[in-house]
Amino acid sequence: MLPKVLEKSKFAAFATALAGEYQVVGPQLKEQSKAGGETFVFGPVTDGAALRMDYNITLLSPKKYFLPMRETLLKYTTVGHPKAEAVMDTRQRVIVGAHPCDIYATWLLDKVFSTDHKDPNYLSRRERALIIGLDCAKPCDETSFCHDMGTNYVESGFDLMMTDIGEAYFVEIATEAGQALLAKAETREAHNEDFAKRQAFMERKQGGFHKRIPVDTKYLPEILEESYDSLVWEAIGRRCFSCGSCNLVCPTCYCFDITDKLNLDLTSGTRERTVDSCQLDNFASVAGGESFREQRSSRLRHRFFRKAKYIQEAFGRKGCVGCGRCDRNCVAKINSVETYTQIAGSR
Amino acid sequence: MSAKPKLAFFSFASCEGCQLQVINCEDELVALLGAVEIVNFREAIDERRDDYDIAFVEGSITRPEDEHEVKEIRERAKILVAFGACATIGGINAIKNFQPQEKVSQYVYGDQAATFPSYPARPVHDLVKVDLKLHGCPISKSEFLEACKCLLAGKQFTVPNYPVCVTCKLAENVCLYQKGMTCLGVVTRAGCDPMCPTFGNKCIGCRGLIDHPNVNAAFDVLEDLGLTLEEVTKDFTMFDGCHKEITEKK
Amino acid sequence: MTTLSESPVLQESPYVPRFGTIVESRMLTAQEKFFRIVMEDGRPLDYKPGQFVEVSIFGIGEAPISICSSPTQGGFFELTVRKAGMVTAKMHELNTGDTVGIRGPFGNGFDPAAIKGQNVLFVAGGLGLAPARGLIRWVFDRRADYKDVTLLVGARTPADLLFRDEIKEWQSRPDCQTLVTVDRADETWTGNKGVITRLFRKIKIDPANTFAVIVGPPIMFKFAVLEVLSEGVPENHVICSLERRMKCGLGKCGHCQIRNVYVCQEGPVFTYDFVKKLREGI
Repeated sequence: MLPKVLEKSKFAAFATALAGEYQVVGPQLKEQSKAGGETFVFGPVTDGAALRMDYNITLLSPKKYFLPMRETLLKYTTVGHPKAEAVMDTRQRVIVGAHPCDIYATWLLDKVFSTDHKDPNYLSRRERALIIGLDCAKPCDETSFCHDMGTNYVESGFDLMMTDIGEAYFVEIATEAGQALLAKAETREAHNEDFAKRQAFMERKQGGFHKRIPVDTKYLPEILEESYDSLVWEAIGRRCFSCGSCNLVCPTCYCFDITDKLNLDLTSGTRERTVDSCQLDNFASVAGGESFREQRSSRLRHRFFRKAKYIQEAFGRKGCVGCGRCDRNCVAKINSVETYTQIAGSR
Repeated sequence: MSAKPKLAFFSFASCEGCQLQVINCEDELVALLGAVEIVNFREAIDERRDDYDIAFVEGSITRPEDEHEVKEIRERAKILVAFGACATIGGINAIKNFQPQEKVSQYVYGDQAATFPSYPARPVHDLVKVDLKLHGCPISKSEFLEACKCLLAGKQFTVPNYPVCVTCKLAENVCLYQKGMTCLGVVTRAGCDPMCPTFGNKCIGCRGLIDHPNVNAAFDVLEDLGLTLEEVTKDFTMFDGCHKEITEKK
Repeated sequence: MTTLSESPVLQESPYVPRFGTIVESRMLTAQEKFFRIVMEDGRPLDYKPGQFVEVSIFGIGEAPISICSSPTQGGFFELTVRKAGMVTAKMHELNTGDTVGIRGPFGNGFDPAAIKGQNVLFVAGGLGLAPARGLIRWVFDRRADYKDVTLLVGARTPADLLFRDEIKEWQSRPDCQTLVTVDRADETWTGNKGVITRLFRKIKIDPANTFAVIVGPPIMFKFAVLEVLSEGVPENHVICSLERRMKCGLGKCGHCQIRNVYVCQEGPVFTYDFVKKLREGI
């Protein structure tokens, strides 16, 4: 499908038009610090003007629309014979402005939740969601290491992909659903100079990202395996709070817990799923009290192994997209690039 | 337990603010009163009966005469709930544990000090078996209601053993450390729907420490941010003075 | 990605339990209760010994429980439930006629075909006898398929011993050798005393033709494995069932993971040569 051009001045109207039919979620300002620093989140909009397409990174990734931080799986009642019914979110949603790393993460989660046992709650949301990507020419900040993980370019996983070409967005149409969405926008054909501007963007992008991990990340699975007994994990583990923040902000983490909530009538309630973290003290504890990953260091090691080894081995792509959310949110300043560099160095 | 369990509220060294939180459960109060009978609750009713099933005990134990009373409550109650920070962790009252006791008594009671004997504040579980701890200063209304539902359903209420950071992430709060502030949330037990950080205030640790907190790391981080050891300790002793991880640091 | 068709998915959410009726229940010890369950929809649970189910009590939650019966016995399944958490405590209040939610069966279970024609040595400690019992019953029901059968059963005290009547029956069978020991005996106990590994001195193992099935608390595993390996049993003939926190049963939630292995999918039954490579298994 031929690309189109959407003038920036007409973008807000496009998003607003979509909001008439879909729940539109996109980057918005969450807080501005006294020093002027801005923090962004994905959130629903009815007025497209609220979208901040110049955002760098959001606190949580759009994952929260597919695997919400909290969701209801079942409703049940125990009056007479117990009864339960599944609860599904069937809202039609458009995610606007997802960066390549977050699109990559979605691709991975699609694999996870549709392989072997399909997860209807995830898939119900995912299948009803359309993704309008927004390409980036440079890393979000100095914490990002997406280039090392190879996630700053995505070829699929979106319906539309927008590239900033100055006064307008160059819009690549990847799916028919995307084309139908774009019909709601006032676009024009892409001319030669638009293609040239996009080419210039891609060239800027090429030079804008730099590798930060001193080894090719394709070797991380074996580097990690060799590091299994290294005291590096204990050394970093001593600083770790096991607070779970790294997992909870991660666009590819998908561990969860399931708990029952009762209504005050004590005969009805809900079964709820909450995202969970393998760093927490009780994550691997059984009812008898035994914890199978009691040491902080072994939990920390487990996280890195999942990110750069286990998921890679299971699904053929890295479990880490290099967005750096874990590192930005780590009070102990545990840093992925430093950790990979350290274990690669002690090889 | 009978069809309508009988609840009673008691207070020791405390401000009774946690009991006020119960009255503040305005929307759910009617439903709650439909499910339980309250037989002793001096913040709200005149009745004083001692045929209760579940006792909510607020406050820390800091006077010799408290001991007898709390033991009596333990004997009468089928379930004893330590209610609020003073009862679960000693709370603010335990600040006095780090000062000479005579000086504290003098300061509060002046020349009447001898008439009011008191000793370092202790959490309720130091004296009697506690079945459930509802943390916080004050307790969280939603946690109180959840706990009530569990008690009524004969289900053990699970007190979170993860730090405030978890709930801050669920709420998509900006981490206060990213704003250049400090916060005790990294080692403090969650369950508060992170009220303080959500409104831009640092966590002051009112729900006590999680199990196996990395207190050494917390001291290191706070010192790296320019706080003196004394300041860090002061932060922690506002609520966590009875935790051995903190007393060892003193 | 795959597309979901609308309504069937809602019906078939793997998180929605089916229902089972308790048709028999009794206390086995002060801590363990036995249940025989029949599925209400008439579709028997299609299971293998050693698999587990998620038992669901609405309002309380779910708990993973090993199936302790063998499908060779009929259209029911049996559970032995130790009072350890909220769900299991609530289960202890349930009796014949009551309903429970059931998801599963989950996990790989034992593979009775793989040990056909061989000697089978069972080493079952404490609650480990529950999952082992499923395979024991299978082997007895298909006795001609197997050669020598040896059962080593251990418990902390005589009062903790599960399936006492059944063990007596096994002890009286001429086609198997059954030895029982308790860590701490009382005045009523006339049998063996001491840890389960001491029973190895009383049996003969033909290492090349024996499969050892070891189920019990983590501390028992290591020492039982050491015994069978020192007898010369090959590592891939040592079969263990591991305990982990199985929550979703679908290989997603992560709680049961050992390294890259979801125990609820690839386990809980593993051979020792596999477990040793995991390094965090035992």
